Amino acid sequence: MALLELEEVTKHYGQLLVIDQVSFSIDEGALVGMVGPNGAGKTTLFGIVSGDVRPDAGRVVFDGVILNRLDPAARCRLGIGRTYQVPRPFGGMTVLENVLMAAQQGGRLRGRESHQAAAAVLERTGLVRVANRPAETLGLLERKRLEVARALATRPRLLLLDEVAGGLTDPEVAELLGVVRDVRTEGVAIIWIEHVVRALMDAVDRLVCLAGGRLVADGAPVAVLADPAVREVYLGTDVAVNAEAHQ
Amino acid sequence: MTTLARAPTATATVSGPWRVRRAGGSGPVMGAAALVAVVLLAMMPVLVSEADTTLLVNFFVLLTMAVMWNLLAGYAGMVSIGQQAFVGLGGYGVLVLALNGFNPVAAIPVAAVICAVIALPVSVLLFRLGGGYFAIATWVVADTAQLVISSITSLGGGTGHPVPGLSSMSPHTFAETTYWAALAVVVISLGLAYGLLRSPLGLLMAAVRDDEVSARSAGARVKATRRIVYVVAALGCGAAGAILAVSQLQVQPSSIFGIQWAAEMIFVSMIGGMGTLEGPILGTIIFFVLQQNLAQQGAWYLIIFGGVAVVVAIWTPRGLWGAVRQRTGIELFPVGYRLQGGAPRSEPGAQLLEGEPPPPNGPATGLGMLWHRLRS
Repeated sequence: MALLELEEVTKHYGQLLVIDQVSFSIDEGALVGMVGPNGAGKTTLFGIVSGDVRPDAGRVVFDGVILNRLDPAARCRLGIGRTYQVPRPFGGMTVLENVLMAAQQGGRLRGRESHQAAAAVLERTGLVRVANRPAETLGLLERKRLEVARALATRPRLLLLDEVAGGLTDPEVAELLGVVRDVRTEGVAIIWIEHVVRALMDAVDRLVCLAGGRLVADGAPVAVLADPAVREVYLGTDVAVNAEAHQ
Repeated sequence: MTTLARAPTATATVSGPWRVRRAGGSGPVMGAAALVAVVLLAMMPVLVSEADTTLLVNFFVLLTMAVMWNLLAGYAGMVSIGQQAFVGLGGYGVLVLALNGFNPVAAIPVAAVICAVIALPVSVLLFRLGGGYFAIATWVVADTAQLVISSITSLGGGTGHPVPGLSSMSPHTFAETTYWAALAVVVISLGLAYGLLRSPLGLLMAAVRDDEVSARSAGARVKATRRIVYVVAALGCGAAGAILAVSQLQVQPSSIFGIQWAAEMIFVSMIGGMGTLEGPILGTIIFFVLQQNLAQQGAWYLIIFGGVAVVVAIWTPRGLWGAVRQRTGIELFPVGYRLQGGAPRSEPGAQLLEGEPPPPNGPATGLGMLWHRLRS
């Protein structure tokens, strides 16, 4: 059974149509990449799933529960964890406290259990060294890690990753990939928006392409990048080149 | 529909050698010290003159208000300039109860609870607004409360009303009783604030203050969190107002609903250090020292207060306690968490975690945060 289903979801910002009747579903434990040019509506779609954005029409169903009327906190408690493209740490709190708060609220853990969960997440995401530093003192890369760590601490069943690899060096991307694969082996479904398409190509088993608020392709990564519609969207960018490299 | 029971997913792995430790290993020592302090303070009416206990009552009243304002603004990010609404309602609560035959001293907790109950529907209205609009709206609520109370003739209208039921006490008993009641209120307020900050609500409040949107996405029930803090702050300020009504033997709308209460709470929290429990204590001490020494200087005294606030805001934006803490790492009321490691496995030698000593669990700067909040 599908874990997440979007049914004919539509969203306007004023006159601008950003999501145009998008429907798709994600199975439990799936690792799905999402690509598309700037302004394609990828982050808006995440917002619709996480509850930050209200759709004008359509339904969002998670594990049989219609989410439309639930706020982000309730959705998180049901098992949807998300990161933000521009990191949004709790600046006045330490890295540990950021993660601990997520474990206690979204993860609904208390006391020692929440402590252990937070320590485990920090270790896993490589944040142990900076755990006692205020989050506002972190650099961009560590902030991105913290986004992932905080989302993981909520014990998600569906993890929404929004450009967590952007700006990372190759070894760092490889390390992140390791974490993502690791999380996935525990049965967590993941939707991963990324501009670094190479990272996605290596990891995902399904790729969806969004352009102009519409789903233009959906399938195996190589097939999607070879799709004429996708190539048209990306014409002249290195994505097309990458697709060829993979063929 | 499948069950919503969550698989033990992302965080189920063993935590290795790293452990989360609650700050405050010196708990029993500090607890004993706090107990000694409270006992010493409780003996004050025997040790010092009545004029001094009266001064201490005012000290406790302001400290209670500052603790509450600090919870609201320093921890939960709600900048209120209208807490005097609950100071006034607490005072009038005592008056109304006393007029109906209640013992005014026994009426203090009841009046405080009434304030908390009133705060619930008020919060529904206020929480529709954010940032600067919220701040102004709290002031409007306070002025509205004052106008409504002033129009009730049975409560003395604009000229106020004496609190009945206190004249039977001897002046000495009255002074002692007032003092102990004020001490009880401030001790309970500090204990309540400390307990809240050490509970999961402490982290929750700080997260909501720092980033409401991502707090929500991490599972935080933002409005419920704010409401709890707002109601607690109303309870505390109501108790402070109730003490004022008793200690001054009368209530008068323009005084007990006065904006000077808000000004003093903010001043005291800011110079002492927002986002720390010690800050308001230090700030209130400084306020009273200045006031005692400058009261004869007329208008100069306010000018010097203003100057102190400006200098502190520029020189040490985390407040004076923030500066002390940064240099010494001393925490009288530790509420934070630390990650501590056993023997590191991969790195040679002892691995030091960065970020020692711990940062205050507070905003980057008092003024800066205030500004940021008001703009957002």
